[in-house]
Amino acid sequence: MKILKTLSILLVMALAVPAQAQTVDEILNNYFENTGGADAWNNLESLEMTAMANAQGMEIPVTMIQTKEGKMMLKINFQGQEIVQQAYDGETLWSTNFMTQQPEKADAETTANMKLQTEDFPSPFLNYKEKGFTVELLGEEVKEGTDCYKIKLTQKPRMVDGKEVPNVSFYYFEKENFVPIMSEVEIPSGPMAGQMSVSTMSDYQEVDGLYFPFDMGMGGQAIMIKDIKLNPDLDDSMFVFPGDADGEEDKD
Amino acid sequence: MKRILFALGALLCMPAVQAQDIALKGKELFGDMRARHIGPALMSGRIIDMEAHPTDPRIIYAGTAGGGVWKSSDGAATFSPIFDEHAQSIGSVAVDPKNPDQVIWVGTGEIWTRNSVSVGDGLYKSTDGGTNWDKIGFEKSERIASIVINPENTDIVYVGVLGALWSDSDERGVYKTTNGGKTWDKILYVDQTTGAADVIMDPENPNVLYASMWEFRRSGWGFSSGGANSALYKSTDAGATWNKIHNGFPAGDLGRIAVAVAPSDNSILYAVLETEDKSKNGLWKSTDAGANWEHLNNDFGLTVRPFYFSRITIDPRNPDVVVKGGLSGSISRDGGKTFKSLGNMHSDIHDVIFHINDSDIMYSGTDGGVYRSWNGGTTFEIVENLPLSQFYQISVDDAEPYNVYGGLQDNGSWWGPNSSPGGVNARDWNSVGAGDGFRVLKHPTKNIIYSEMQGAENVWRYDVDKNRTRTVQPRPKKGDPDLRFNWNAPMAVSAHQPDRFYMGSQFVHKSEDMGDTWEIISPDLTTNDPAKQDQSQSGGLSIDNSGAENHTTIFTIAESPLNEKVLWVGTDDGNVQVTRDGGKNWENVTPNLVGIPANTWVYHIEASVHGEGTAYAVFDGHTTGDMNAYALKTTDYGKTWTNIISDDVVGFVRNIQEDYESENLLFLGTEFGLYVTIDGGKNWSQFTNNMPPVAVHFIDMQKQTNDLVMGTHGRGVIIIDDISPLRELSQEVLNKDVHFFASEPTIMVEESGFSGSFGGETQFVGQNSPTSARIVYYLKKRHTFGKMTMEVQDMDGNVISTLGPGKSKGINVVYWNYTSAQPKVAEAKTLSFGGFTSPRVPAGKYKVVLTKKNDVYESVIELKYDPNSLTTLDERKQQEEMTKTLYDMVEDMAYVVYTMNETMDYAESVMESNPKAKKTAQKLHDALTALMKDMVVTTGDNYVASAEPELREKMTELYSNVATNFDGVSASDLASFELINTEYQEALGRLTAIMDKEGKKFNSFLAKNDLPEVTLKSKEEFLGN
Repeated sequence: MKILKTLSILLVMALAVPAQAQTVDEILNNYFENTGGADAWNNLESLEMTAMANAQGMEIPVTMIQTKEGKMMLKINFQGQEIVQQAYDGETLWSTNFMTQQPEKADAETTANMKLQTEDFPSPFLNYKEKGFTVELLGEEVKEGTDCYKIKLTQKPRMVDGKEVPNVSFYYFEKENFVPIMSEVEIPSGPMAGQMSVSTMSDYQEVDGLYFPFDMGMGGQAIMIKDIKLNPDLDDSMFVFPGDADGEEDKD
Repeated sequence: MKRILFALGALLCMPAVQAQDIALKGKELFGDMRARHIGPALMSGRIIDMEAHPTDPRIIYAGTAGGGVWKSSDGAATFSPIFDEHAQSIGSVAVDPKNPDQVIWVGTGEIWTRNSVSVGDGLYKSTDGGTNWDKIGFEKSERIASIVINPENTDIVYVGVLGALWSDSDERGVYKTTNGGKTWDKILYVDQTTGAADVIMDPENPNVLYASMWEFRRSGWGFSSGGANSALYKSTDAGATWNKIHNGFPAGDLGRIAVAVAPSDNSILYAVLETEDKSKNGLWKSTDAGANWEHLNNDFGLTVRPFYFSRITIDPRNPDVVVKGGLSGSISRDGGKTFKSLGNMHSDIHDVIFHINDSDIMYSGTDGGVYRSWNGGTTFEIVENLPLSQFYQISVDDAEPYNVYGGLQDNGSWWGPNSSPGGVNARDWNSVGAGDGFRVLKHPTKNIIYSEMQGAENVWRYDVDKNRTRTVQPRPKKGDPDLRFNWNAPMAVSAHQPDRFYMGSQFVHKSEDMGDTWEIISPDLTTNDPAKQDQSQSGGLSIDNSGAENHTTIFTIAESPLNEKVLWVGTDDGNVQVTRDGGKNWENVTPNLVGIPANTWVYHIEASVHGEGTAYAVFDGHTTGDMNAYALKTTDYGKTWTNIISDDVVGFVRNIQEDYESENLLFLGTEFGLYVTIDGGKNWSQFTNNMPPVAVHFIDMQKQTNDLVMGTHGRGVIIIDDISPLRELSQEVLNKDVHFFASEPTIMVEESGFSGSFGGETQFVGQNSPTSARIVYYLKKRHTFGKMTMEVQDMDGNVISTLGPGKSKGINVVYWNYTSAQPKVAEAKTLSFGGFTSPRVPAGKYKVVLTKKNDVYESVIELKYDPNSLTTLDERKQQEEMTKTLYDMVEDMAYVVYTMNETMDYAESVMESNPKAKKTAQKLHDALTALMKDMVVTTGDNYVASAEPELREKMTELYSNVATNFDGVSASDLASFELINTEYQEALGRLTAIMDKEGKKFNSFLAKNDLPEVTLKSKEEFLGN
């Protein structure tokens, strides 16, 4: 989920930086407009990223596919086996059970939260008003040693353990170039609940006119993007819950 | 042409562009050097105010004495800190009744005014559930006791400012805002000595308010509670006018007053009074909303230490159930007539709240953390993940891993390891003293620990191996005057004579035999001011002579690490004294101090390793209301002193630690966190990476690791690992684009024990020191655009590992666990877990190659084998060779299986498109399938439906065992290897036979039909994939 959240943040390089950016919209406009522009981002239909998650000697190939209509697939490869960490066809969220190697559906709450998240493509900040999100410039802060604008993003409330909670995250846009270099979101449940999950982004590089961070760090783990394909050919059936593939057990 | 050449020449002759001066301060200096917290949480720390969410019973807040605000979202099973960027001493937490998920108010500055309290710096508000906080004002309030919100219009908020503890203040009183905190009116003010101790609101009518005002004052040597100005007030017009409601109270001075109104019946009020007439102290009740009062109870539990325990809680559903904080806490179920003690928990109960829906469930805030009760207060269990321990002092030893020793406010003395398998757990800590704990020192050479309790009432010498304690405190001999020990009495061990042990009363006491025999080696080094020595009358209306106010005492003793004859002493009444002959002659150098107000507490003296006459002294005036930072340095035995504090430092100073190598590198422990200077005190920068602005009472540096170890008063022990990069920071380094810091060789620690993780679900577990190799570098600029990668290579340039480098401006720290990549493993139906093992690299030198766009920067790091290893070098080389052999075999098999799979797939596809192929292709396919079944698992799952292991599984299992062992290759390993190798060679032989027979036939079919042979990657391509 964290990988997904970070990978889904698509970012743009500001080539011509205005002297002053005062309002949150100016910052976001700088971030979109100087980079192939908001139009190019709006025209983006889907993305396929291949990456390597690096955890000290253990390199895990990761593939992440996302579409504008809200489908997504995150799979990893272990010893030649593809394991679906998360797949979503717009209705059903599922993953491969690691033990049985069989697909299983996610619980209703996680699925509902996934549906909310589909609006993050290609960036939650793109057309944020139409999506019903709010953004707020909270001020300036030094992050990663450099001056940043701190922007608060409020999305539609999500559900946590049966209760509706606000869906708030914070983004730090480097003042010098208007791209986000860090995000923070509160971990809603589990043993780390209440603490901030911090992601960093760097190594922005161009792919067919759009700029993406090719290095993302999450809690000490580095995710290095190897390749990004814009609007790849996709077989929609890959997103669909396959049911009991081996017929060993009826999972429904 | 000439002109052009001339211009070019001029250009070449121009001096190099002057490097710009970079300020030697700021957050970015530290980059991603991060502090780690090791707790402990098993004894937690003082809680000031508990607060429940009004509608969601899962959410509970705890405002702590020195550790900020903690929030639970799971009904108090676990808590997380939510106030880590602000003053950590909390007086009051309030949740907006209308918008409880978003709006939270925090008043800083604890209100249970013992001697050792921290200070706050105003009122804060969050509008996003505690993620971000805005300071609303009241910067000089020091302590905020109450925040009351009108439930009908939550923009109307009342704040009770208790105010300064050690000085006059006109910021005291009750304040009101009607616009959510934008502007405030002072609506009740008595005088500069009398603050608001409790402000409450009628549960039915928000225009009705009650406020208790308290006249109080503390000094370094006494406390006074009560006076003519203390009173209980009521307002019925939303604070516009106030009237005293004392009908029934005894005449004369009053002290601290607690007041509460029953949530279920607004006519019923309870108050706890401190009066001139002992028989009238304790609980009072009104059944007519304060018009008349009746005295009900003056049990010990109701009258004990009003300054410390003045909180009444009434069951939200039953006005007869009343809880009062106290030494044990008291509960009444008959409307206050009789009380019994609350169930066992840590003593000193400051606040109790009830669950919003179920009165059986209670949460209690004590001197030792938060407790939960499920049975109406009879049994309590502790919350185990609140690392709020309040250290007075800490020290470290030279063990590996080194231990941290320290004494805690109301929680005894302890020692524990800075790192432990699975993290630093509660069970890793060992008790080494009772009562309040202060200084704890390890004997330099023997396994003996010194510890003490308040006022040196006991000083213990604990023999760890024999588990024997002896009390060794200095006592007066015939002819000696009474000894005056500070509550936090100084101790010191000698770096020159291991058995030498110093203690300070008003005299310096020296023992050469670990405390068995004591000799006084100084005159009274204090001002010996009798006006500051009568603690028997301390306390005001309620005498409170705990020893905490003992004054005119020695507070710090420092022996020069360079000369055992040079001894420094600082006293709580402002004297700095030094001897250069082991105590024969003492020089009072106090008159030489610069810029220090007279009689300012000498909190710490650090005798320097950089010069016999060099020392640092810090001074703390907060007990006179002076909150300024003071630190001086001398290099001539105190004849002259230099100020080393800059305007950067906020808050008073309690400790200083010098670096043992760089004289310009200093660390300052202040009331609001840690400050660091790299230029000898010209500029200071606050260290904020995972380091809250908590009161840092003591700092030590561990010499072998260069770890900075802090004893905080509210967040336990906090460590910054290996600060050595800070030594190298200079203008020259800061002007480089990339700078690798020098590093000591890394020991590849050999540990393979077990660590149960039981209890970790809800217990605090302290973070360990990383054992990985550290790669530390400085970036002049944050790297945001373009590729930046880091590789570890062997000295021949072969890639060993790829690391994710930090990109921060400033110092970046990257860890490498000295392994190379895991092997590529043959594909099968299930996973081979042994194949996830990354082999350790041999000791030696390795290149770190940082590539930043087109620029390449290199550094070399060195790894060494663990000197504590049980393995010989020969055995190790065998292990490394066998690991390599198995690694290569696993990868070889991966490639072989790949070629078999590709061949089978190809045979299938040929059969599909060309039915004539079936004859040869099917035979080949069948033969390969049969072989494959013996090589890898082809059925089952990753759990209990797993298949029997095949060759791949056996091979990776052996590989993993050999690779992770620290020992040589055992006979059993070798036998297993021979078996697996034989089987593998047999399998390869079978494959060759198949390819010679069925393979050849298939290929000749392909040739006849003009079909290509199967396309295979080369082994190099496959493995490099």
